[in-house]
Parts: sequence; C-alpha cells; structure tokens
Amino acid sequence: MSVSTVFLAFAAFLVGAFVPQSKSTKQRVGLGLVAAAAVALIAGLWPDPNDAKTLAKAVDTSGEWRYQLTSLIFVPILGSIAVLFLPRQGLTTMRYFAYGVMGLTFVVSLYMLKTPMTQGWHFVHTKTWIPGLGIRYHVAADGISLWLILLTTFITPIAAFASFGSIKTRVKELCFAFLFLEGTMIGAFVALDLFLFYVFFEAMLVPMYLMIGIWGGAEKIKAAIKFFLYTMFGSMLMLAAIVYLVWTHQKITGEYTFDYLALSRVQLPTAPKFFFNLLNPQAICFWAFSIAFFIKVPMWPVHTWLPDAHVQAPTGGSVILAAVMLKFGTYGYMRFSMGLFPYAAADYAPHVAGIAILGGIVWAALVAWKQDDVKKLIAYSSVAHLGYIMLGLFGATPAGMQGAVLQMVNHGISTGALFLLVGVIYDRKHTRLVKDYGGIAKVMPVYTTLFLIATFASVGVPGTNGFVGEFMVIMGTYGAVDLGNFAGFHAVGAAFGVILAAVYMLSVVQKVFFGKLDPKNRDLTDISPRETLALAPLVVMIFVIGFFPSIFLSRMEPSVRLLQSQYRVVAESQKNRDASPSTPPVTEAMLLPERFFSPAFFAGAPTWPEPEPEAPAAAATAKAASVPAASATAAARPATRGSASAAASTSLAPPSSGSVSASGSAATTASVSASAVASSAPSASARASAQPAASAPRGRPPRPPHPRPAPAPGGGQNP
Amino acid sequence: MSTQLLLALSPVLVVVFGGAALMIVEVLARKPAPAGQPLKDPLVDEGTSSEIALGTAITLLAGAVVALGVWMYGPENLPEAKSLAPYFVIDRFTLFFSFVMCFGGALAALLAGGYLPEHRIDRGEFYPLLTFSLVGAIVLAGAADLLSLFLGLETMSLGVYCLTGFRRGSARSTEAAVKYFLLGSFAAAITVYGGALLYGATGHTDLEGIRAAVKTLASQSSDPAMKSRVAIVIIGMVLLVAGIAFKISAVPFHMWTPDAYEGAPTPATSFMAVSVKAAAFAMLLRVLIGGFGDPASMSWSAGWPPVVAGLAILTMTVANFVAGRQESVKRMLAYSSVAHAGYLLVGVASTVRSSADGQGSVLFYLLTYTFSTAGAFGALVLCGSRGKEAVSYEDLAGIGKRHPAAAAAFSLFLLSLAGVPPTAGFFGKLYIVKASLGAGLNVLSVLLLLNSVVAAYYYLRVLVYMYMKEPAAGAPLAVPMKSGYVTAAVILAAAAVLYVGLWPGSSLEMALRAALS
Repeated sequence: MSVSTVFLAFAAFLVGAFVPQSKSTKQRVGLGLVAAAAVALIAGLWPDPNDAKTLAKAVDTSGEWRYQLTSLIFVPILGSIAVLFLPRQGLTTMRYFAYGVMGLTFVVSLYMLKTPMTQGWHFVHTKTWIPGLGIRYHVAADGISLWLILLTTFITPIAAFASFGSIKTRVKELCFAFLFLEGTMIGAFVALDLFLFYVFFEAMLVPMYLMIGIWGGAEKIKAAIKFFLYTMFGSMLMLAAIVYLVWTHQKITGEYTFDYLALSRVQLPTAPKFFFNLLNPQAICFWAFSIAFFIKVPMWPVHTWLPDAHVQAPTGGSVILAAVMLKFGTYGYMRFSMGLFPYAAADYAPHVAGIAILGGIVWAALVAWKQDDVKKLIAYSSVAHLGYIMLGLFGATPAGMQGAVLQMVNHGISTGALFLLVGVIYDRKHTRLVKDYGGIAKVMPVYTTLFLIATFASVGVPGTNGFVGEFMVIMGTYGAVDLGNFAGFHAVGAAFGVILAAVYMLSVVQKVFFGKLDPKNRDLTDISPRETLALAPLVVMIFVIGFFPSIFLSRMEPSVRLLQSQYRVVAESQKNRDASPSTPPVTEAMLLPERFFSPAFFAGAPTWPEPEPEAPAAAATAKAASVPAASATAAARPATRGSASAAASTSLAPPSSGSVSASGSAATTASVSASAVASSAPSASARASAQPAASAPRGRPPRPPHPRPAPAPGGGQNP
Repeated sequence: MSTQLLLALSPVLVVVFGGAALMIVEVLARKPAPAGQPLKDPLVDEGTSSEIALGTAITLLAGAVVALGVWMYGPENLPEAKSLAPYFVIDRFTLFFSFVMCFGGALAALLAGGYLPEHRIDRGEFYPLLTFSLVGAIVLAGAADLLSLFLGLETMSLGVYCLTGFRRGSARSTEAAVKYFLLGSFAAAITVYGGALLYGATGHTDLEGIRAAVKTLASQSSDPAMKSRVAIVIIGMVLLVAGIAFKISAVPFHMWTPDAYEGAPTPATSFMAVSVKAAAFAMLLRVLIGGFGDPASMSWSAGWPPVVAGLAILTMTVANFVAGRQESVKRMLAYSSVAHAGYLLVGVASTVRSSADGQGSVLFYLLTYTFSTAGAFGALVLCGSRGKEAVSYEDLAGIGKRHPAAAAAFSLFLLSLAGVPPTAGFFGKLYIVKASLGAGLNVLSVLLLLNSVVAAYYYLRVLVYMYMKEPAAGAPLAVPMKSGYVTAAVILAAAAVLYVGLWPGSSLEMALRAALS
C-alpha cells in the first residue's frame, strides 16, 4: 500500500468522522472507518498503468489459492449450521457470530481482487463427486462472477445488519437463513458443473422461503409459496433440459458429464424448422433453461411473484432478493442459456428483446407509476431495470454485455439502498403508502438526501452508477447484429424507459418528501446512526461506480469479450449453415470443434482417456476439427479418417464447401476445414486463408484429451 | 444344508429366527395381571414391549447387514443357492430389496417402540407380525415362480392386515383393516386368476418358463390355433399387473390406501408405505422383466409399457392433486406415497429401452424413498403424544418455534420427498428422469417434474404451519413425545437422507448392479 493511499484514507476518515453533526464518538469513528475503507479499496484497486508485470503473469493461474471459492461457499454454510447449536437466548452472541462469519467471507472475497481477471477461469477447484454420472465439484470464477460474488458478500452483511435492527424474534432462524443464503448464492455464482449449479440454485430457495414466510407481512404465506413454486416450476424444466443435454453428450462421446465446459461443445439439432422453430431440441432446451431464468429475473409475463414477494418480505429479505437473487436470472441466462444454446439464443433474441422492452422496461415502468405502495413501486422498478440487463444480453455486443454485468451490480446497490430506505420509514410508521406521507423532508432532511441519491442512481442521472450501465446497454443495443433491423427501435424504446423511470421515481419522491407536511408526521425522527451506517457503504458505492466505472469494467472486460465472441462464433456458424440451401438441416447432435473456443475456456474441463480406435464418427469430429487446415499432417492420415473428417467438417461448413463434401481425399478436407474457419470467424478470415501453413503445425497430436482446444483463430476478438 | 446355502439364505434366516426368538421372549416377559386388582379397561394395553422393539430393530438391522454381507461376498460365488431357483432366487436384486425392506422394517419397529406405549396399544404381537410380514416380503422379492410369489404375497399381506387393525379401540382402525383386507383379498384373487390363466396358456408357473413360452407364442401368433392362447396370455398378464397395481396402490387401484394408511397406527403405516411398497415393486419388476421381458411383450404397440406408462401418469397426477386437498397430514402423506408410486412407475416404464438404467433408477428411488418416508412418518409420530396426536395441519402450527429439532427433521424429510437438493429424494428423482429421458420417454419425464412442483405445494404447506403460523387461541396443542426409540429412528433416517443425497455414488452403483438381466 502506497503512501498516497494511506494519506487518502486518512483524509476520508477525517471527513467521515468530523462532518456529521451531533453524533456520538462511537458513531463518528464508525463512519470514519467506513469512509477510510472505501477510499483504501478504490486506491488499492486502481489499475496501475506502469505495472505491466502483473498483467503479463496474469495468464498464469497457478499462483491462485484453489480453495478460495470453496472457502467462500462453505464458511457461511458451516457457519449457518454452527448457529443452530448456539443457545437461543444469546441474541448478541448469535448476531456477532453472524457478523463475524459474514465479515470473514467478505475479507476473503476481497482477496480475489488482487488477481487481474484475464480471460478464462480463475481459482479453479475440481473434485470428483459422483463418478458414476460424471458429476464433479467444479467451481471457478471469471470477471463476471467476480463482481457478483463481491456484490453478494458486500450486500449480505448490510442486509443482515439492517434486519437485526428491526427483527427481534427468532433471531436464530434469521442468522441461519442469512448465512445459508450467502453460501448457496456464492455457490451458484461459481458452480461450473450443471448439477452443482442446480443444487445451489434450488437450495437457496429454502432460506428465502423461510425468510419471507416467517418475518413477512400480512400476506406472507401466499407470497412465500408463490415465490417457491414459481421458481421450482422453472427449475424443473431446466433439470429436464440438463439431463437431456447430458444424455446427448453421452451418446456422442460415450462419457457422462454434467460439466458446463464440456457440455458447451454439444450442439443440439436445430432441424425441424416449422412452428416458429420451436420444435427442435435446441429450441426446447433453450426455452427450458430460459424460462427458469426468466422467472427468476423476472421478465414479463412471469414476473407476478416478484411484487408479492418484495412487498411481503422483511427489509433484509427484500434487499437480498433484489440485490442478489434476481441476478441469478440474468447471470444464468448469460452463462448457461447463451453459453449452451448460442444459436437458439441468437435466433430468439429480437423477439425476447421486444418483450424485455415492452413488457419489462415500458410496461413495468407504467405499472410502477400507478403504485401507491412505495415498496411495490420499487419492486416494479426492479422489473424495469432488469429489462435493461436482459436487453444488453439479448443484443450480445461487447459494450451491451459489459453494461449488463455492470448494471447487475448497480441494480443490486441502488435497489438495495432503496429497499433499506423504505424499511427505515416503515419501521417508524408501519405504512408504506404514499398518501400517508408528504413533506417529510422538513423533519427528515438527511433521510431525504439519501433517498434522493438512491433515486438518482436508480433513474440513471450522470455521475451515479445507474447512468453508466444504462448508457452502455443502450449503446450496445443500437449496434446489435442479433436484433436485426429493429436494433434502432429497441434502443429508442430503452431510452424511452429512462424517461419513464424519472417520471415514476421523481413523482413518488415529490409526493413523499415535498409539499405540505401532514401534522401526523411532525414527530418523525430522522435517520438513526445505525441506519446511516447500513446505508453509507451503498451510497459510497453509487458514486464510486458512477465516477470510476473503469475499475469494474476493466476486470470484467476480458471475460465478457470471451463469452461474447464464443457466442457469436457458434451462433454465426449455424446461421451461415442455415442460410445455404445446399446443406442438409442438422438433425443429429454433434460436438462443436474445439477451435470455436479459446484454450482458456477449457481450464478445468474434464478429460477422459483415449477412446477405442473404432470410435463413432461423431467422436472423430472432435479430433478432425481440432486440426484445422492441417494439410500436411492430414495427408499422412489413413483414408478412413480423412473421409470421416470430410463429412464432419462439411456439416459445419459454409455453402461454398457443400460441393466438395463428396470427395474423400484428405487434401480436400483440409481446404474445407479452412473455409469453415473463415466463415465462422469473418474477422479472422484473411488471416486464416493467408497463413494456412502457420496454423498447421499447431494442430494437436492425434488424440488430445477430449476438450483440449487448438488456438482459436476467430475466438479472440470480434467486433 | 450346505454352508453355501446357509450363507445365501442368511438374511431370511436371521429375520425368521430372530422373530421367533423374540416371540418367545415376549411371552415369557409378559407380566401376569396382579391378583385382586380391578379389571382394567380391555381396550387399554399397557405392556412392556418396548424392549422387544429394540430387539426387533436389531434383528432387522442385522438382517440388513447380513444382506449387505452376502452382497459383498457375491451371490454368484454361491452356486449351491441356485438349487432353490426358481422358487427363491438369491441374486443381487433380492439382496438389495432385503436390505431396503429390512431397514424400513427396523425403522418401523423403532417407531413402534415409542408409539405403542405412548398411545396405550402396547401389545407384543406387533413385532412378530411385523417381522414375519417382512419375511413374506423378502420371499416375494426373491420369488421367480408364481407359486412362491403368491405365498410371499399372502404371508406379507396377512401380517399387514393385522397391523392395520392393531388399534382395537378405534373404529377407524378397524374399518381400515376390514377395507384393506377385503380389497386385498380381492386383488390377491385377481393375481391368482391371472397366474392360473398364464399356467393354462403356457404350461409354466416359473417366470423364466413363461417368458420363453410367451416368446415362442409371439413368434407363432399368425397361426390361428395360437391366437386364443395369445389372448389368454394377454388377459393373464393384465390381471397379474392389476393385482400388483393394487399392492403398489397405483391409481385407479389406490382407493384403500388413504383409509388404511390413516387408520393404521403410524409405525404400521410407515411399514406399509416403505417395505410393503418396496416388495410390491420387486414383484412388479420380477414379473414384468422376468416373465414378460420378451420383445413382443415389451413393445409399445402390444405389450405392457403403455399400460405402465398410463398408470404412471394417472397415479402421479391424480394423487398429487388429491393430496393437495387433504386436511390431515397423515392422509396427505398417504397420497404422497401414492404419487411416489407413480414416479417409480415412470422408472419401470423406462426399463423398456434401457433395462439396467431403468431398474437401477427404480431401486435407487426406493432406497431414497424408504429413508424419507419412514423419516417423515417418524417425525409425525414425534410431533404428537397421548391424546394429542398430530394429525391435521393445525396440530403442527407453531411446532417450529416450540420444538425446533422435531420441526427441522420433519422439514428435511419433506424437502427430500419434494425433491429439493441436496437431499436423497432429489437425486432419486434426477436418476429416474435420467433413465426415462434415456429411454426416450420425454413426455413422461417432463410430467414427472411438473408433478413434483404440484407436490411441493403440499409439502411446503406443512412447513408453513410449522414455521409461519401460530396455533389458534384455545386450540389443542400437539405436544411432542419423548422417546429415545423414535428419536433414534428419526436421526438414523435423517443421516441416511443426507448421506445418500450428498454422496449418492456408491448406493447408486449398487442399485445399478442389482438390476435383473
């Protein structure tokens, strides 16, 4: 830590400690520490342009502590079990124990920031779990999950802190629920085995269900059951699709695996093309996954559980639900729906983007405008904000997707702050109706200021975090190839939503805080130090992200780019294939060639021993495709293998190569493969055709362990 | 008797001799009524049988362990055991079922040790009835001949009929026993009739012979003389399947289940839901795979698969929707066990195209179902005490606050039944889905998963009452009982549910190896 950092932190401490009026010493020190920690964090993370050494060795992940993520998952889970054995009467013990576990998790998660997140997976930890089905414990983080983990470890203590202030009953269960939730949420963000992901995805429902049902409002039971059943319905569909995918992989390669990395290579058939393309396996599986995630997001029309759950949940539950849990919908769509079914995702993107804008951004905004319950209004505003995130993902441009990931964090912070703020007045008046307030800025000035800051962040005023995310999403949408000719309209619709957000948020601010003060509210006390302490980190983060978004964007960019380019390469190779009338439709599932993926992507993927020589043709595909344009080596191969690879490569080849598929000669095969590369990665076509000799020696020896990719000519950059 | 034969038969022998010995012990330990005291209420039974409960549980656990031991030794290393075939086949299939059923029976015996004295129906007969019924169940699992199959079926059923009516003072219990007995005898008659027709058409009572004969018949079915015999075989098969469907309580043969399950004392209910159901599935698999495993009977156009698939859909859907409307938790669990029979039938249907995988999924599911169901009934027993038995949802209101451990255990078992990871029930369901998707039964597996969403509703309702509601003012409170036996059973089941849920590898492998060829 440099001298300037210490100096800055000390300055922030002084500001935090001396600026507030009429606070006790303890509170001053607390506020000062929060300020100093925030500054130290920013200063410590500032990317140092002179430090090329860290960036150079960043590709090497061997120095990372491999139990990093495992400890992040299991420290809270074990803590939650330990809480059950603490004495019920010791409220303070339990609370401090929970704080301790959460604080430890937060510190451990901060340690991850030391790693510059380069492309591919970091902190990979794998372990065989159920060998019979190829299920492994496989966790890893990249630049996308990094921020979501930090969001989780950052928000959970705040939510717990706020809850302990207002909830005095059944504290033991509350501590259990918070800790268990934290562990399972982190687990779901880092799981790369679909089985493991599913386990965490489902297991987190139980504590949230208890949280809504035990400490919720008047309609808590209905809301809790609705929440559980909605999510479970979606995840059951997803489970069926997961198992189908596993079976398909087993049919092609003879190996069971639930690993996301291995399953990414499975290309499900897209063949029956009637009835809106809905009846082919790829589309069905895409929808099975996506419906599960759309429910979680939630997107119109499966969003109806959200207002109920939010309104009924206690403040802490609402914060966690909005800030972290909804992100599983967007994160899951990004990682799994787009990663496993790129073609179907690209195919449906314009339509679902339309739903995200009309049903999410515009319609939810209009509904929010009409709400007279502040919490319900914020719940609907969540639906609208998550519409932006989904739009950024549907557009699938680098800018849009980065904006989407940033917006996931932003929404967590600003909506979390808003829910905390609503909880503050609810604790005082036990009503959330707009009409019960009015003019309270006169009696609660500090509260009003904080509320306005959170509102501005939510609306997206420049200088706050919301502006950066939404701006990037709209920018990305405008240039989105996937959205076709309507990308411009999509962008305009999204921009219109920003105006609507201002309308509903500012109108509620006006009605609640300004105007005439109701005499009943004359004795409202301003926000307490405890509540300020809970809100302070969030408010600080609003400005940190608003002014210095590059801290966040620079860490996530390589990962987002990798995901985006792979998505584009696979989706476009399919599209080109579809566009040509001469190639037959894909009716059989197959493995995508390894060259579609970056080598970094397969770090930690399962490997299998070499199969028998008479492996099925599909297995040969992988091998043949891993040697693109390997003219010299291919010529030396037996004729049978040459013909197998000819068939295999033409199945993915562009129209121009369809005519040569009849030829079995190895030399032709090579040229076919070369043109396949060219078509799948337009930007790299010149390079691929100009330097066939250069890429030839890079071909792998005859049998690499299953998904060990060759360097991807088109996998790197794509506009 | 040679050593090999003794070793092969040891799981049955342990249970038989243990049961007989315990019966003698029970008679000797019975205290004579003190002279000169006024005659007590004849409907109040206050025996001292709870030690017998422990003995029974140990005997049955010993049976399970011995079955495991024979499994380790390998039944293929005991060639002399083949001399009993086809009347009693000792293969991995039989051993797996012996293990599951003995474990289920042991849990039921432990529950009874706490339940019977608490509710003053403490008579020593309960344990021999249970033990010998279990012997019938093991015989049933090993029977590859219609004669011994019927023998096992009746031995098992007779004991269970008595257990159902064990609460003499309760009209409900008696009614349930009579209902169960009448319908059960009727179903047994149907089974026998089906077997008789099969014997008439094929000349065999052993399943292997029937299979061979049916195969020959199917190849000659164009011959007009053979046509009538084919018809008889089909009628016999349908009758046999109907009889078995009654035992596994598949819709529409399930009418007795809720009444019998509700009327019987809860440990007996647990035994019926667990061991008896497992035995019935063993019988179903033996008959369908062993007897009708030829390509013609296994075809979707002319064989049993569409029947089983139809039964599965009906069973899952009807049972789940009816269970959601129950007001009694015990009755809800009864319907839920019917629904689980439906899920298991999906696994049976998927044996058509992937035999080992389909059977393995059924066997593994039975294992997980045994732990979760026995545990759920155990937790229900634990939540009530004399005169204050937990029956309806309202009885459970607020248990989560007053008795957190009992409520937590109950929640665990219900979540396992609902199929929430990381419990055993989830993995069982996953494996059935995997097997049925592998067999191409996409619609069936999606229906199964959607059904489990419906099921989640009523399982969660229990959690709602336990954790989120307070008992109405003045309502009678269910007071949890204090019993080491019941607690032990619940802890045992909970440990099993978590262990199989987190590390299903080895038990899954066993289930797959146990499949019939």
